[in-house]
This record gives sequence, structure tokens and C-alpha cells, in this order.
Amino acid sequence: MKPKGATEPQRVVCTELPRRAEDFMAVRILLVDDHPIVRQGLRTLLEGRPGWEVVGEASDGLEALDKVESLQPDVVVLDVTMPRMNGLEACRLIQGKRKDSGLEVLFVTQHDSPQMMREALDAGARGYVVKSNAARDLLEAVEAVSQHRLFTALARSPQALW
Amino acid sequence: MKLRILLADDHEIVRRGLCSLLQKHDGWEVCGEASDGREALEMAKQLKPDVVIVDIGMPYLNGLDTTRQLLQHDPHFKVIVLTITDSDQVIREALDAGARGFVLKSDAARDLVAAVEALQSKRMFFTPRVNDLVLAGFLDKGHAISRNEPPSLPTLTVREREVTQLLAEGKSSKEVATLLNLSTKTVETHRSNIMRKLSLHSIRDLVVYAIKNNIIQIQMPPQLRTTPPETTLA
Repeated sequence: MKPKGATEPQRVVCTELPRRAEDFMAVRILLVDDHPIVRQGLRTLLEGRPGWEVVGEASDGLEALDKVESLQPDVVVLDVTMPRMNGLEACRLIQGKRKDSGLEVLFVTQHDSPQMMREALDAGARGYVVKSNAARDLLEAVEAVSQHRLFTALARSPQALW
Repeated sequence: MKLRILLADDHEIVRRGLCSLLQKHDGWEVCGEASDGREALEMAKQLKPDVVIVDIGMPYLNGLDTTRQLLQHDPHFKVIVLTITDSDQVIREALDAGARGFVLKSDAARDLVAAVEALQSKRMFFTPRVNDLVLAGFLDKGHAISRNEPPSLPTLTVREREVTQLLAEGKSSKEVATLLNLSTKTVETHRSNIMRKLSLHSIRDLVVYAIKNNIIQIQMPPQLRTTPPETTLA
């Protein structure tokens, strides 16, 4: 039982769109994280979902830019802190290049911070999930952003963003 | 009979990745997963795994102190430490704690299977940098490893180390008491002993000490914008 006064972590999911059969369509995902073991964990989680396919992996922002061009995924799952080019910079460039393609970026990061979440959304991301809660939030987040809905969830106690 | 492995890491997504990697090996099974050091200790005592893999940066009880306490309980435990850094100090602490394997998290997909195989064959596994440091110490008649800095936490007891981590994580004496099944008064005694032994004067000093000595780890963000967003956070 939660102690008195405890608050639920902040989760924001926009649900304007009704659920339809086509919502359960195939989703092609690019995974970007500098740790192979994290990519492996994310892959096992995502590939458990029928119709979803991890079409490629990248270990930094620069590699992600190349793979976005060559693989044309629907969703890029992106880490923030990476060598060569961090995720925020990569997100800005991806969104600059592929603005009208329908591609969406979802951050999965260790940074449990409202400030970082704002940076990510300002960079053009549609979703933000904290790595420590990825096993809980990732599937719902990918589903939301693949339908162009916002999904954000911090692990810490709530701080209003807007 | 299969080799039984206990995994301890606070990130479920990392445990999933590690599990998936280790379970590709026919002769191995992951017999348990723990999400912090205290849980790892309890599970190890209960499950008696052949190999324990511990992340260093775990809440409540970090991986180095988990290793120390595991080996204090039973010196036959074989522990592989997973770390995000192979700084001299972390290497020294891991060797001192009794780890038989030392694997960088960034290289885990490549090195972890080799590390478990080494322990299975009663050998040790270290990254090349650990080998270099140990060799340098040997060539320098054993002084190179210890001459620059004294070992961290030289005078703290096992219990005091636990209390140090929990206080540095921001817990109150009362919360520490509940977690460790002690009275608040006992925790406060530990707290004043810690401050006296380490010549610290505030919790802020304690947090700095804990970070410097790898008792807790902090995540550094990439460079954020220097100008804050116009809309202020409520």
C-alpha cells in the first residue's frame, strides 16, 4: 500500500484518436542506444508484440541518421546520451529532414528530468520514457507515438510541464 | 546440471538484455533477478547460484558492497561486477571486494559470456585495463595500485557503508532505520560515527563523499541549452 500522500508518477497520454482495427498495424522500429545490451533488452520487449519489427539498430546519433534514411522506420527509439552525436541533436536533424514523412521519435533515457523531457519534445520527439520504467511503459509509448499521439512518463514524483 | 546465474541490475530492460544473452547458452540458466543490492543478497543466500552478476550502480546497496557482503557471508560465491567505468579506483575497489570478473557494461554483449565461461573454469575475467593495472602493480612490487590514494572508506564498518549509501540517496534516519530494521537512534549513532570518522560536517559533504567514492553514481546530462525555455515549470 502506498504511504499517505504518495503521488503517482506523471504520465501523459493523449487519447483523442479512437482505437480502430488499423491501430494495430505493423510498426517498423529503429533502435538507437550506445549499449548493445540495452538494445538487446529493448528488442526482446518490442519483438514480443505481434506485427512490430525492429528493422535496425544504431549505436550513436550519426549512425541513426544514416539508418533513418536507408531503413525508413515508422518509429525511432532514441537514447539521449551517446558518443559522437547525442540523441537530442539527432532528433532535431531527423525531424528537419523527414518532417512530413510521418516518422516519430520516442526517447528512452536514464534522465528522469522534466527539463530534459522538455528538451526532447522541443527537439521534435513525440514520446519520452525513462529507462528504469521502460519495461512498463515502452509498448504503450510506441503504440501511442506510432499513431502520432503524445506519450510522456517520468519516474519521479510529478512536476507539471504545462 | 545447468550453471545457475543470479542477475542484479536496477534496470529491467538491462536485465532483459542480459538474460537474453546468457540464455542463448545451453548449459546456463538465469535462476533469479534482483533489482537492488539488498534483494540480490537475499536471493543469493536463498538460491545459492553458481555465479552472481552485479551492477555497481544499484540503489539501497551498491554492487561493490553487495559483493563484499556476499563474500563475507560465503567466500565461495563467484561474483562478476558490471560497471560503466573502469577507472583505477573502481578497479581497485572491485578487486578489493573480491570480484572474480570485471566487465564494462558497454562491452557486456561481447565480454559477459567469456567472463561467465572463465568463472565456470575456475579462472578470473578482467578487462585489458584491469590486467594492465594489476601488472603495473606487480612490476612496481605491489605499490602501484595503492600508492596514489588510500583505499576508500578505510574505517567504515559494513553497516556504516550501508547507512552512508542510504543517507546519500536522500533518505532520512527514520527511513534508513525502517529499511535496515534498526531503531532510529541506532541509525543516528551510525550517522554521527560516519561523520566523525570521515571528518564530514553536513549531508551535502556526505553526498559528495559518496559520489567521489563510487558509493552512489550520478547521471550527467548532455549539454542542455543555456537559455531556459520561455515557459516556466510549474
